[in-house]
This record gives sequence, structure tokens and C-alpha cells, in this order.
Amino acid sequence: MIRYECLELLASKITDQLVVTSQSGQRIEWSHLSRHEGNLLVGMMGCAIGVATGLALALPHRKVIALDSDGSVLLSLFNLPTLGNLQPKNLVVYVFDNGVYSGSRISYPTATAGNTDLAAMARGAGIKNTRTIRDLEEFKDGALKALTQNELAFFVCKVEESLMHREIPRPNTDLAENKYTFVRYLERTEEKTIRFVGRG
Amino acid sequence: MKDELAKRLVQGLKQAGIDFVTYLPETRLSQIIPLIRDDPEMTLVAVSNEQEAVTIAAGATLGGKQAAVYMENTGIYVSSYSLLTVGRQLGVPLLLVIGYLGGVPDQRNSFLYATIGKHSIPVLQGMGIDHQIVEDSNNLEGKIKDAVRAANSLRAPYALLFAGEFSV
Repeated sequence: MIRYECLELLASKITDQLVVTSQSGQRIEWSHLSRHEGNLLVGMMGCAIGVATGLALALPHRKVIALDSDGSVLLSLFNLPTLGNLQPKNLVVYVFDNGVYSGSRISYPTATAGNTDLAAMARGAGIKNTRTIRDLEEFKDGALKALTQNELAFFVCKVEESLMHREIPRPNTDLAENKYTFVRYLERTEEKTIRFVGRG
Repeated sequence: MKDELAKRLVQGLKQAGIDFVTYLPETRLSQIIPLIRDDPEMTLVAVSNEQEAVTIAAGATLGGKQAAVYMENTGIYVSSYSLLTVGRQLGVPLLLVIGYLGGVPDQRNSFLYATIGKHSIPVLQGMGIDHQIVEDSNNLEGKIKDAVRAANSLRAPYALLFAGEFSV
């Protein structure tokens, strides 16, 4: 199973969910697969789950999806106990765990290539609905079904390293442009004013 | 900090529109936590690390909340990565409510805090985060309101560092 295949399946399920991506090849792959205005392509590692959690708490009636990587989650492990205690029912986290720092170009192993089990860590932190996904059938049957359920879910998707993100165009929207598209989309769909955006 | 001052601080946050607060508790301003927790118009979120206090508050801001992050000034160092990336680079307004330990106006300053206090403002300045030191309660509500307006206008975090009367 490679990440791109999972993202293709996920993209077909997107309607009005909010999707927050971390910085990794998945950001490039997701922006290629989905032009959804509810995508927030956060361009930094270790921030996506936090931003997605804040969105989920601010908009509890709206499904929020965080797309993250093993390297990024390892950089922000403090998110796990916070999620384990907050239990936002409208948040689904997909961690695409390829066991390497692929962006480093030398693909050195992350801790999950060794003895570290992120699903076990999430479970220990109090996230009950957590599971390791190892093939596409399991991704379809288990991970995607969480989108229709009302429970915090945390899936560690074990994927092979793939360099697909280097073969497709990178997103050409800059961070501010993406942020404003996202908040304007929220304003329209939530019928509310996001307080800080441009009113000159 | 006297209880009366804590009440005014929380009232000031509310009057400025703050309705979502992430926090890691510290010693100088901690009386505000139960007041925020018990206020039905405010959401209080406990975190494990100031870095996620910033990212969670940023997500809430993008979702329409007016968010504040309450932390000790040691949290400036811990959260500097997310302050810079999510706060400054992505451009998300946040009010930083900071217990300013170890600064010159800290009435409980000691060798334990002084080094931490000495570098807090240069680090904020290095990240391009504007700040104000609040040493007394004169026009407290106005200072908080100004800070929130500045954060929203700058689309960036703005820090209020509380010391003096607030550190007694």
C-alpha cells in the first residue's frame, strides 16, 4: 500500500469536511488529488494535528480530518495525551507511516522503523479508537468508515515509501492564499464571519 | 495576584472578545484558570506543551474563535517553532497572555527565573512578535482590547507580559 492510493480513496469521500495536512509528500499529493476549498495545507511538520484539533473544537458539528506523517507525529507527541483527554468526536487523524524521513532525500529511518508503535502510543494516551492499517482493503473498510462515525479516530496507515510526490506538480498556492480561501469557504458554509479576515 | 485582579483580567479578555483559551498553568496568573473554566461563554483547553497550545488556538481562530494562549514565559521558548510557523508564517492572530517570570518587574524574581526572563523579549522580537509589558491594573481592560485589535490587524500573535502587580 502506498500513501497516494489511500489519498485517492479518501479524496473520493470528501464533501464538506475540513482537511488539514502536514508538511510532507502528502501535502503535494493531496493538493494534486483534491481542489477542495476546505483543504488547509499547513506547510510545517508537527502542527497539523494541533490546528485540526482547534478547528474541531471550534466547529464541533463539522468533520475535521488531519493528514500527518510518522516523522511529524514524532515531532509533536504531546498531541496524543491532549487528544486522549479532549476526545473531539468530529476529528479523524490519518498518519501515513512510511518509517522514513523521506523528505530528507536520504530516507533515514524514523523511530517507527524500529521499535516504536504509534497506534500503541495513541492508545496509551487515551485515544480508544486507534488502529494500525496495513492494506487498502483495511483502509476502505476501517479507516474510511470513520468519516461517517461520531468518534475521535486515529489511524496509523503503514505505507511503503513512495516518491510519487516528486513526479506530480507541487501546489502553487502560497500559504496566505490557501488560508484565505479556507476561511472564506468556512464563512460561506458556516454562514458566519471569521473575525480577523480582511475588512478594510 | 489578588483575586480581584484575576477577575478583572478575565473580564478584560471577555470584553476583548476572547472566547477560547488554551493553557499550560504557571504561578503568576493561575487564578484566571478556574474563572475561565466556569464561564459558559469561554472554552478552556488544557494542553501538554505550549507548542500545541499555539497550534490548537490557531486552529480555533481559523474556525472563527477569538483565541488566547495562556502560558509562562518559558513557553515562549517551547512554542517558538509554532509561533513562528503557524503564528507568523501562516499569519494567525493570537493573544498571548504570559506570566513574565524573571523580568525586572517580576516581584518574585530570583536566580531561578532571571535568565529565562532576560531573554524572553529578545526572543519575541526575534520572531517579529509585538508585545507590551503590563505591570499594573490601570486601564487593564483597554490594554487587552488594544492587544487583540493589534493581533487581528497584524494577523499575528501579540504578547501581553504580566509582571509587577500581577506577580505579587
